[in-house]
Amino acid sequence: MLELQNVSRSFSERLVLDDVSFTVPGGALTGFVGANGAGKTTTMRIIMGLLAANSGKISLNGVELSSDTRPNFGYMPEERGLYPKQPVIDQLIYLGQLHGLSRSTARSRAMELLSRFGLESRFKAKLESLSLGNQQRVQVAASLLHEPDVLILDEPFSGLDPIAVDAMSSILRDYASRGVPVLFSSHQLDLLDVLVDHLVIIQDGKILANSSADDLRASQASRHRMSLGSDTGWLRSEPGVTVIDISGPDALVNFDSEATAQLVLSKAMERGTVNEFSIHRPSLADIYREIIR
Amino acid sequence: MKTTTPAWLIVALREVETKLRDKAFIISTIGTLVVIIGSIVVSSFLGSRSTEFSVTATDESSYRVLTQVQNDKLEDVGLSIAKSTEQEAREQLTNGDLDAILSSNNGGQEFSLTGDDSVDDQLRRLVTDAVDSVLTEQMLSSAGLSIENLPSDDALTVTQLQGDADRNSMVKAMGFLFSFLFYMAALLFGMPIANSVIEEKQNRVVEILASTIRLRHLLTGKIVGNVILAMIQLLVFLSVGLFAAYLSPLEIPFLGVVSQVAGWFVVFFLGGFLVLAGIWAALGSLATRTEDLQQSSGPVVTVLIAVLFIGLYAKDGFLVVASYIPIASSVAMPIRLLSGDLALWEPILSLVILLATCWAVLLFAEKIYRRAVMHTGGALTLRKAMKLEV
Repeated sequence: MLELQNVSRSFSERLVLDDVSFTVPGGALTGFVGANGAGKTTTMRIIMGLLAANSGKISLNGVELSSDTRPNFGYMPEERGLYPKQPVIDQLIYLGQLHGLSRSTARSRAMELLSRFGLESRFKAKLESLSLGNQQRVQVAASLLHEPDVLILDEPFSGLDPIAVDAMSSILRDYASRGVPVLFSSHQLDLLDVLVDHLVIIQDGKILANSSADDLRASQASRHRMSLGSDTGWLRSEPGVTVIDISGPDALVNFDSEATAQLVLSKAMERGTVNEFSIHRPSLADIYREIIR
Repeated sequence: MKTTTPAWLIVALREVETKLRDKAFIISTIGTLVVIIGSIVVSSFLGSRSTEFSVTATDESSYRVLTQVQNDKLEDVGLSIAKSTEQEAREQLTNGDLDAILSSNNGGQEFSLTGDDSVDDQLRRLVTDAVDSVLTEQMLSSAGLSIENLPSDDALTVTQLQGDADRNSMVKAMGFLFSFLFYMAALLFGMPIANSVIEEKQNRVVEILASTIRLRHLLTGKIVGNVILAMIQLLVFLSVGLFAAYLSPLEIPFLGVVSQVAGWFVVFFLGGFLVLAGIWAALGSLATRTEDLQQSSGPVVTVLIAVLFIGLYAKDGFLVVASYIPIASSVAMPIRLLSGDLALWEPILSLVILLATCWAVLLFAEKIYRRAVMHTGGALTLRKAMKLEV
């Protein structure tokens, strides 16, 4: 488990991270969301030791991180970068060697990852000759070469086509299932909804949420979707009912209790047709929007 | 399987490998080698070539002149002389057996040198000198004087307090060579250090590298890789040059002292190059794009040109001062070593100053590098870079 405790950082007087604490549990996919400039990249850079924190500490399985333990991290920076004029395989071998792999191990690991991304036939191509999506795949491969103990990925899905998104997702799940803590940021909230087990929400350098996806979903008061034969405006004046959204015959509401729900349902049936009366589970996207509001 | 190859070595090997695959680098190295070997071969060929003339005299006076030519000590000219009739000599000349005929008229007071279609310049000069001295001697003896009484060139002896003329011209030539080699290596191997730093900044590989290994190792690897290349190239140039000079039939003066000083030069070169390497790396990390380097490298190139000129023209006190100033000392101290016996402490002191500077510059470069290399928003000044927080 990767743990950040009270990490703060400012850039020339501007506080970018304000007492950031969260956990990235092992064996789970942790999504890291927040608006642009919320502090995601800075947090990841601090985890990777590229930036220093002004205060706070980061530990992995209870051991505080130092430059000796970080090399086993797999990192994909927000600003992608490899050597454009070097063949794909050469730079993967080089990066693998820097991670302490032998040349032959680095090579076989690289080929394995490339074939997993369907790039095995392009291994000798110069990076710049690949399409942007394929360059991105090579970038992902570069972060996985050394079988990292922790994965930190800044926007791993941006710029990927649906097939590559699937390949990426399965690789991340694969790593998580080995017990590796995986932290990744993404703006694709619908993707997060199906993928993540744990969610960290950051806004203006402050952590607004840090809990499992199930807990987050459960924490939201259950909502009901109603679709009636006529206008639903009368719901606004019902006691115990909070209207979230109404448009003509459709409504999204909160009931303060199950009894209220049943009462409203019977009133609705007295008034006419009820096409739908269902419990609506909020998506993580909904929760995110709710929380950052 | 994990290996324990240090990160800086992997970086250094990549630098070397990349450079060895660079066609421009290979071509320029081979080209320089060809020039070095070629110039030694050509000069020894020209030096050892000797000229043979055969000239026939048609009368006694002419024969005396030719004997005089033979008596004048000639280093690289051979002259065979003979006497025959005008008729015979002309036939031989037309057949190409002779180079020229010398005949006299007016009772041995005037001479004519006849060639087939041309008369060699060197031969003409030699004969002119001989005619001069024969006529002068005749004139003197008819006046009852001997040629020994005349003032001769020996009346003036030229000496100099320091060294000798030959040695000084050797020092000039070697000074030029050292300066040029240093200048070339500093640009040929220094600039790539800056460029490879910029390349990694520009392509943002540096963020991956920096999260993998320490920036200190990355910087060290780059410098070591390029230093290895520069030293190998220098050693190849020097040893091929010295070996060719050793093999050449031409006797090259001061070969011993030159080889000895070449050894010192290698050491000073290494020190000076390390100082420059640190500066280049720092410049590279201040720039954001390759174009920025054009501006920031100006002062370094100026310093290098100054060093080149010190190597070519510096003398006396100025040279002594230069031989203790890092970078300039890489050229100036070897030149002083060539021109005379220095006490051993002089090059050693200069070397200590150089290495201390080297250390300071590398530490400073690392500081700049660590601060600036992660910075992406445009080129930095030195002051701004120092203010950046890690």
